[in-house]
Amino acid sequence: MTRQRIYCLAAAALTAASLALPLWGFRMTAPQYPDEALQLQITRHGIRGDVQEVETLQQYIGVRFPDELPELAQAQVAIAGLTALLLLAAAVHGRAAWWLRRVVFAVFVAFLLASAVTVQMRLYEAGHTRDPNAPIRAVRNFTPPLVGPVKVGNFTVWSFPHAGAVALLAAAALTLASSRKKPLINADALNPRDDGSRTGSRLGRAVA
Amino acid sequence: MRRHPLLLVVATALATLAGAQTLGCGASRSARSVAAEKMYVAPGELDKYYAFLSGGQSGSVFVVGIPSGRVIREIPVFEPRAAYGYAVHETDARRRELIATGGLWGDTHHPAPSEKDGIYDGRYLWINDLANGRLARVRLDVFETDKIVKIPNLQGAHGIAVVSPDTKYIVVNGEFEQPTDGLVTNPAPYTSVVAFVDPESMEVKFEVRVNGNIDIADTSKDGRYAFSTVYNLEQGSDQGHMLQFDRDAVAAIDIPAAEKAIAAGLAEAQNGVPIIDPEKAPGVLTLIPVPKNPHGINVTPDGRYAIASGKLSPTVSIIDVKTLKIVAEPEVGLGPLHTTFDDRGNAFTSLFLDSQVVKWNIDKAIAGDDDYIVDRINVHYNIGHLQAAGGETMKPYGDFLLALNKLSKDQYVPVGPDLPENQELIDISGEKMTMIGAFPTPPEPHDAVFVHASVLKPLVKQVFETGDEAVKPGQEQVVRTGPNSVRVDMTLIRSAFTPEKFEVREGDTVTLRITNVETIRDMTHGYALPDHDLNVSLPPGATRTVSYEVRKPGVYWFYCTNFCSALHLEMRGRMVVQPKDMQVSIPDWHANQNVKGITVPGVPSTGAGQ
Repeated sequence: MTRQRIYCLAAAALTAASLALPLWGFRMTAPQYPDEALQLQITRHGIRGDVQEVETLQQYIGVRFPDELPELAQAQVAIAGLTALLLLAAAVHGRAAWWLRRVVFAVFVAFLLASAVTVQMRLYEAGHTRDPNAPIRAVRNFTPPLVGPVKVGNFTVWSFPHAGAVALLAAAALTLASSRKKPLINADALNPRDDGSRTGSRLGRAVA
Repeated sequence: MRRHPLLLVVATALATLAGAQTLGCGASRSARSVAAEKMYVAPGELDKYYAFLSGGQSGSVFVVGIPSGRVIREIPVFEPRAAYGYAVHETDARRRELIATGGLWGDTHHPAPSEKDGIYDGRYLWINDLANGRLARVRLDVFETDKIVKIPNLQGAHGIAVVSPDTKYIVVNGEFEQPTDGLVTNPAPYTSVVAFVDPESMEVKFEVRVNGNIDIADTSKDGRYAFSTVYNLEQGSDQGHMLQFDRDAVAAIDIPAAEKAIAAGLAEAQNGVPIIDPEKAPGVLTLIPVPKNPHGINVTPDGRYAIASGKLSPTVSIIDVKTLKIVAEPEVGLGPLHTTFDDRGNAFTSLFLDSQVVKWNIDKAIAGDDDYIVDRINVHYNIGHLQAAGGETMKPYGDFLLALNKLSKDQYVPVGPDLPENQELIDISGEKMTMIGAFPTPPEPHDAVFVHASVLKPLVKQVFETGDEAVKPGQEQVVRTGPNSVRVDMTLIRSAFTPEKFEVREGDTVTLRITNVETIRDMTHGYALPDHDLNVSLPPGATRTVSYEVRKPGVYWFYCTNFCSALHLEMRGRMVVQPKDMQVSIPDWHANQNVKGITVPGVPSTGAGQ
């Protein structure tokens, strides 16, 4: 089995696994939650974690969780489709395989970009479509970044890719690797036998 | 210039004085800072020990952090406490128990935590009510009173102890002698009993009759003996007659022998409890003569000796637990009341009259060495109990000792004729004892025990687990269940009651079941109802059911009593009591549109979305 095919199969496995894992995560800290940061995870089933507590807090500033997240169902279909495509790409031989893998990679990247845009739009929406009758109006509108912190009232909210998203990113990288004619990491280039004085040799040993 | 010799002498003397003063000042400042540092627990840091102090006539248990001396919590036991919503309402199970067992006040003396393998396991704490002959159990995972029982056939439940090493029974001593059959017409001298209570069911399994007044209790570390000091062997009924004999006794009850006597049918039941008369069951009770009217009894951590404190005699009697014979009776000072231990073979005895704690070496005292007294330290004033960390277990920690003083006199700014009790913390880690700090408490801790935070802290719950009795979100309802009864199922969460209003009629009885559905720690809410003598306190996850008769027609705002959130003040709702013969519906008042959006000069509008 070629190295590219293994990459393809691994990418399929990771992509499928992402369905079982939380996709995006949020960690909320505030002075009065000293050792009990609130956690939220977006899974394919919806929002999980300290939902009740975050909902309780959100009402003060007029923020609500979306009633529905149809994107999640769409993402599930896309992830299932990507898995199928990757399996197909692993099965196909010859030049067709190379082309197919390139296409799958492109689709993958498009999916990841679309997801990122969707998440960021949802995050913007959360901080901007607030109940104007909320009790505390002093908290200004906010936009949590896709990755990173934002200050909302007394809370610092960190957004970050969770295990599922990391698996998808890794799968995308493997798909790219599988679509290259040469291995992505050339062990020979990293570990030159002729020149031990080069700094690259240290990296080479580490990789080897 | 000629120097005058006298001037020189004066100058030298002054300089010496000044130097001495500076040095003295420096030394005392340093002693203060050393002591302060030992007691100082910085904000956010945690204490090393939970100390449980009996509340005496407060009927409760005070939980104090050691070494800081910070009062962390009061656990109400024998007295209702509205702040905690404890036993305040007729339908409260604890209140019913209190009323059924003797009333809404108690006098707590001896906290006794559960033991496993001779050390505290952090499950339960038992506490007595001397006044009404009761025993209560406190669950240490939630710091709440869990069960209260009346001990039959005794009055004045004074000394209590768990039977080491695994809490087989709780021993409860009856101090105030009673007619043997409970009948006032009985001409025979009064007697008392020692009760053995099952730790789980809290049933009294059996009692052993003892002539005289049974005072303080402890047990041998192997579970064989329950030791009690007994005074008034004279069985006199007035003070003069209580003091006639030269010697009273330590009673040693052989627990396995007592169990055998019960199995052999040698006991007679009285009020449903089998009582063993030691005359009919030889071997159950041994009386060990000690100087008259002794007080404390404490078994050494290694289980070898039981030490009875002389009270009226300046001695302690050291009893060999194997032979039940006195091996030494060393003098320790005036008014010895109680003894506790470190982990290095030393005993510490409180001296009520000397107002001192005396540290003495057990082996040296038994060997008859002259230098068995190690150190003495003054306490303020009239010390009763004293307790070293872990002193009642098989593994004392040997670092801190609490002196529980009966009088505080000049130790705090005066607060009228009734002064606080004074608790003093002594460092016993060195050869010499060092006073490191003091803190006052309400009346009146008699005894204390230290439970190491590393044992108890992991067992403490942050929220109650909601059971079947809980009202779940979405299941709130107001139901008329009869012509004069309404049932309300309510939930609480920041910052609202659900339902926010309900209507009842004059003459109705409301049965209110409330659940605090918070899942976050420390988010306690209250349900206080004006003019209905009602406050219900609900820690997170708790469900309480109360029943009350509504009063005269009107609008009553129930509100949250435990400051909870930014909308705490708005966390309230209405109970509308309609007149009997009228049926009106509750008006809802909404914000007046003309008023909404009013701009206050100088205050920028900060509406959402800007």
